[in-house]
Amino acid sequence: MARERVSQADEWQAWAQRYDIEGGIRTFESGLTVKVFVGALFVGLLMMPGSIYLSYVSGESGAGAAPWVAVILFTELARRSFTTARRQELYMLLGLTGAAVGSGLQYRNFIWYAYFINTPQAASYEIADKIPDWIVPAGDSVGVLTRSLLHPDWLLPIGIYLAGKLLGTLRFVSGQYILFRLTADLERLPYPMAPISAQGATALAETTGKEETWRWRVFSIGSMAGLIWGFLYIGVPSLTGVMMSQPIQILKIPWIDFTQSIEGFAPTGVFALRTDFGQMLIGFVMPFPVIMAEFLTAMASQFIVNPQILYRYEILHQWSPGLDVRGVGLFNGLDFWISYGMGKNFSLAIVGMAASIPMLFKLRKSQKAAGERGSFATPPNRGDFPIWLMGLMWLIGMGGFVWLIHWMVPNFPLSFLLGYAFLYTPMNSYVTARTFGVLGRDLFEIPYLHEITFILSRYEEIDIWFAPLPDEDYGRGTQSWRVLELTGTTFTSNLAGTLLIMPILLVSGIVVLHFIWQIAPIPSAQYPFAQMMWPINATNECLWKTSLRDGNSQMLQAIRGDYVAAGLTSSLAIYGMLWVFKQPSMWFYGIIGGSGADPGSMIARLLGAIIGRFYMIKRFGMRRWYMFNPVLAAGFACGVGLIGMGTVAIALVSKAVIVKPF
Amino acid sequence: MEKVASLIIIIGTLLWLFSVLALEGRWQWQMFSALVLTIGIFWAHFWEELRETDNTEESNKSGEE
Repeated sequence: MARERVSQADEWQAWAQRYDIEGGIRTFESGLTVKVFVGALFVGLLMMPGSIYLSYVSGESGAGAAPWVAVILFTELARRSFTTARRQELYMLLGLTGAAVGSGLQYRNFIWYAYFINTPQAASYEIADKIPDWIVPAGDSVGVLTRSLLHPDWLLPIGIYLAGKLLGTLRFVSGQYILFRLTADLERLPYPMAPISAQGATALAETTGKEETWRWRVFSIGSMAGLIWGFLYIGVPSLTGVMMSQPIQILKIPWIDFTQSIEGFAPTGVFALRTDFGQMLIGFVMPFPVIMAEFLTAMASQFIVNPQILYRYEILHQWSPGLDVRGVGLFNGLDFWISYGMGKNFSLAIVGMAASIPMLFKLRKSQKAAGERGSFATPPNRGDFPIWLMGLMWLIGMGGFVWLIHWMVPNFPLSFLLGYAFLYTPMNSYVTARTFGVLGRDLFEIPYLHEITFILSRYEEIDIWFAPLPDEDYGRGTQSWRVLELTGTTFTSNLAGTLLIMPILLVSGIVVLHFIWQIAPIPSAQYPFAQMMWPINATNECLWKTSLRDGNSQMLQAIRGDYVAAGLTSSLAIYGMLWVFKQPSMWFYGIIGGSGADPGSMIARLLGAIIGRFYMIKRFGMRRWYMFNPVLAAGFACGVGLIGMGTVAIALVSKAVIVKPF
Repeated sequence: MEKVASLIIIIGTLLWLFSVLALEGRWQWQMFSALVLTIGIFWAHFWEELRETDNTEESNKSGEE
């Protein structure tokens, strides 16, 4: 029987429908109450230190847990007080707690650059003394040497950050809102992934009834699994790190490196088993074809393509025996995979445009036929804003942002900034909003836009690499407005909550990060993930930031036209052949993600996908399993987050105690 | 139209394989293959998205008749 052709939009909408349990509601209420605000602040600020600490210890912040902890506490309190929690309140609680717990990590660049400025890499690439003072104070300043974010040396970087944050809020709120009105109200695009986000709050709102539902049970199972895993993976090394100079790691963080073991039969291949088995939960949720294709391609890359083709034909020529995964990865990247990856990224852009541009034509056509669309009328009591006000906010936000960048890099051509701000950003955002409205994900992205701009502008100073550019995308955020609509939360209450909590979070985030930096230098043995990854990240950052300097940098030499062309054409050929043989486009995204990647980093996700597909779906049925998934993942993140919070508390207390030698 | 798109894509793929195996992977030939493939993929997606609308219009017309 001939296979039926399914368009990319239909394919992804079908996937999203698995999570779409109910259609949402159309009556609107405010979700902002005093108890929601206080609850979000309490849980968010309580878990924020844990999330920062975890991100340096294991590479995963676990910030996803905090909103769910807040919601669980809230619903339990409601049940015991014989009241009910409304879904609007719970959705608002999720959003505000998420913002609160992430408020520390927004400053992480300060810690990174405080490390980067004093690295041997930055010195050897001659950029250490050229890093602008609006990014980080000088490497020998007191603020950096004493690891204190509260020192006056940090005033300028923090001031610039805060100004950017304020202007960014103006731009993003208004930009997203205008595009939401265009795509959801005027064009009635379906936003297929929005119900998944809405489901969490609506699911838990039920639990405040008298009957205990399956959700509570599934959440508890996830939490217990998270607690056990979190204790073994994060708790033991963190607690022993407090008492001993070298922490005990039951499972090595972040990976166990087998690269030297395979070099006998697969020279230039890498295999480092990522030990964070929490990734299994991602495997439960992600489309099976994507995970499978990713893993098989990664295996083929490291065990066939690298050793049997690229190494044999001396394309990978810098490799030598005895290198670990980081060394092999760096050399393989410089010899071939960076160039190939660039081509691959261009193919993604072409495929994205090919999928999204015809959609515009189709929608225009169907719009005429339907005769219903084209109305800007809003549902009553949704809490809408006047469009002119939003337009004005965006203009002020964007104008201020362009002025700020011009102040930071005064010699960079202003025309590029204006072009990005007022031409590229609206266009890019509009196309993304449409692809989100139809597919639930971003397809339209021009790769290496900054690099291309820097070449075209003929600007050679290094400071531009540290400055933000006004090439923004508000399309992605339009989905959150749709989720607000689905949960029946008024827009005004959401905006009020965001603006009220922001000043508190801006201050508390920086104070907490300051204290965590005081525990020990980052990176150091206390923070194994940072210790393992940051030196290689510093090398990569140096390579990129010096790539356009003098026209003969190491990076420019590494980029070869024939390899870039190979990446582009092979990826297009794979996509095209999948289309010809009527195979799902998900295979393409898996193959692209897996080519040149380390298969060891995917084992946990693969296990999750296999268990989900071949055991869980059979055991529970597809519909129930996809209902369980988000709740289970939330429970697991909650368990790991609680362990992180506990260990950072102990670490902070132990550092605050001075042990006397008598 | 579907067959035309498939044909262009297959020609682009074969051209790329030929450029790698016989022409030492020179970037000019590879980019030419990429151009052919891009045309094929755009063609395929335009056909895919617009075919349903065409079908609907056609069926509406036949219904009216």
